[in-house]
Amino acid sequence: MTPNQRLLVAVALSVIFFATYTAIFPPVQPEVTDAPKSQTVELNKNNTQASFDDKVIDAVVGHEIAQEEAVKVSASNDILIIRSKDFILKMDTLGRISSKELLQEKFNDQDGKHAQLIPAFAAKPLFLRFVDQDINKEASTVAYTSSVKEIDLGTQPQKVTLTQKLSHLTVTKELTFYEDGHYDAVVSLSDNQRYFIYLGQRPEITEQMMTVSGAMVYTDDELVTIIEDGDAEGRKGFTGVELISAFDQYAATIMYGFSKDTNIIVERDREDNPVVYFDALQTMKFNGYVGQKEYKVLKNIKPVLTNAIEYGWFTFASQPLFQFLSWLHGILGNWGWSIVALTFVVRIILYPLTYKGMMSMQKIKKISPQIKELQAKHKGDPQRMNKAVMDMYKKHNANPLGGCLPMLMQIPVFFAIYRVLLNAVELQGAEWILWIDDLSRMDNFYVLPILMGVSMYYQQKLTPSNFTDPMQEKVFKFLPVIFTFFFITFPSGLVLYWFVNNLFSIGQQFIVNAQFKNAEDAEAALARTKKSDKKVSEKSDD
Amino acid sequence: MIEIIRSLLLKLLWLYQKFFTLIGFGSCRYYPSCSEFARINFENNSLSSAFYHSLTRILRCNQLFDGGIEYPLLDKLSCKPTKLGMESIKYWLVPSKNNRFHIIKNYSYKG
Repeated sequence: MTPNQRLLVAVALSVIFFATYTAIFPPVQPEVTDAPKSQTVELNKNNTQASFDDKVIDAVVGHEIAQEEAVKVSASNDILIIRSKDFILKMDTLGRISSKELLQEKFNDQDGKHAQLIPAFAAKPLFLRFVDQDINKEASTVAYTSSVKEIDLGTQPQKVTLTQKLSHLTVTKELTFYEDGHYDAVVSLSDNQRYFIYLGQRPEITEQMMTVSGAMVYTDDELVTIIEDGDAEGRKGFTGVELISAFDQYAATIMYGFSKDTNIIVERDREDNPVVYFDALQTMKFNGYVGQKEYKVLKNIKPVLTNAIEYGWFTFASQPLFQFLSWLHGILGNWGWSIVALTFVVRIILYPLTYKGMMSMQKIKKISPQIKELQAKHKGDPQRMNKAVMDMYKKHNANPLGGCLPMLMQIPVFFAIYRVLLNAVELQGAEWILWIDDLSRMDNFYVLPILMGVSMYYQQKLTPSNFTDPMQEKVFKFLPVIFTFFFITFPSGLVLYWFVNNLFSIGQQFIVNAQFKNAEDAEAALARTKKSDKKVSEKSDD
Repeated sequence: MIEIIRSLLLKLLWLYQKFFTLIGFGSCRYYPSCSEFARINFENNSLSSAFYHSLTRILRCNQLFDGGIEYPLLDKLSCKPTKLGMESIKYWLVPSKNNRFHIIKNYSYKG
């Protein structure tokens, strides 16, 4: 292969690598905005399903409810509207939370509309399904009535009673709403019937790719079970559950405050997405929350709720990192500067290692002609060349290479930071300086990714490397370009981290260079004074 | 079973050496490099010994250690080659302490 062919192969391979990576962490499909269309699709789907599932309808399968639900969706009206300064929540005739709009501008979607946390065509929070099919049918046709029509929610919690009067059964939902977005619920039946309460499907407002979404069950043994969208299989039961959550990148529908023996069931729907519901008692008390996964808000409601903030399988490292970032934010008051400070701290921790490396890099400069000679001598035999170069380093007691351990250690650190910046809702609408007005979104002017690429290129030029394979070396030189494209759609906060990290690294290099030069000058000066001292003393001897 | 794990690990190392060394920016402080060291270890020694030596090598591969030339060691001599020649010898075994051998690559080895 000619070098050019090799280069092409190398680039192709790196593309394949990123492609497989995206396949493993698939990009989340954008929300369907074409509502009427998706409605017909949904209805058709459920009709075909109805003919299919008629026989097994008695089984505790969660999906056939969608059929009545979908039919009802156009007919159902809102019987209760709750307004607070931050949100508007609506309950419909089926006694479900049918809509929750967030009024804060920073949560607006890309079209500038308010964030809607309840997807239009899916199972909704507080939906009830009875095992008895006749009751179930009747329940889907009889509307709930509400004790109040509208509530303006202030700092005081407000209580509402929703009632559904069926021929042989009365369903009562006593709900108390709080300003911070959570509610207390007491659901009771006039007669003992087996029924289930639904958590509802997850919010669908994710914009970024490579985020985890799905359902989570957090049990009292501190075990987190996450069922990602598309990965749900069979039916799973849980007891001793602290909280259940259906979540996307930033928002979640959460229910908590169950008794230990409550049976939580996770099942899959047609797209293998998880559907979560639980076996309810005749009188069932629990709590719920629909909203953004903001650490402070969740902690104030109930500390256990902070477990609903998850960063994928890397939560154990990301969680403390977020705490630290949040602490920095408390001091600096700006998320952008907090990220810069975080980078700085990481560099300080790594300083002893990097400093030593940079110093020996300076020593190497002196023997660089000899190394060049060696490289020329062993041209075409990288193995032997490397050995000779290593020998040379040893002889001069200097080794400029960074080593495998720091490199391997950086991977988890970066990954943890990556997950935090990707999942922290606090970064939404968080501005930094100049044109950066939302650290959770991509840079619309592409400035930050390009700066990142340039700084990475420059840093690479400063860092010594030791490749045995010329192909690898070529790909390596191409990395800044690949990274720039890779980072273009990433949240600005993440690109900022990477960029500042490069800057610090370059800056440190310059400082070391200057120090080394000073030390050398001082040495030379010392040598000169010694010489002249000697001369002086010789003279005085005369 | 052990042989399956061994060949799987060797394949992973090959993959790493071929494509993923880039994340390391070719920055190993030793000769042979950590991945090469691990590969030779897994080729010639028992899995547990290879794991141990590769891990300690990676842990030592940082700027608090000198780096330089460090050959892998053979635990047990058991080779019975059928034919010998400059081009068919893969490794030179150079006696070291405690009845062990340095494993050194033969630069003229072909295939």
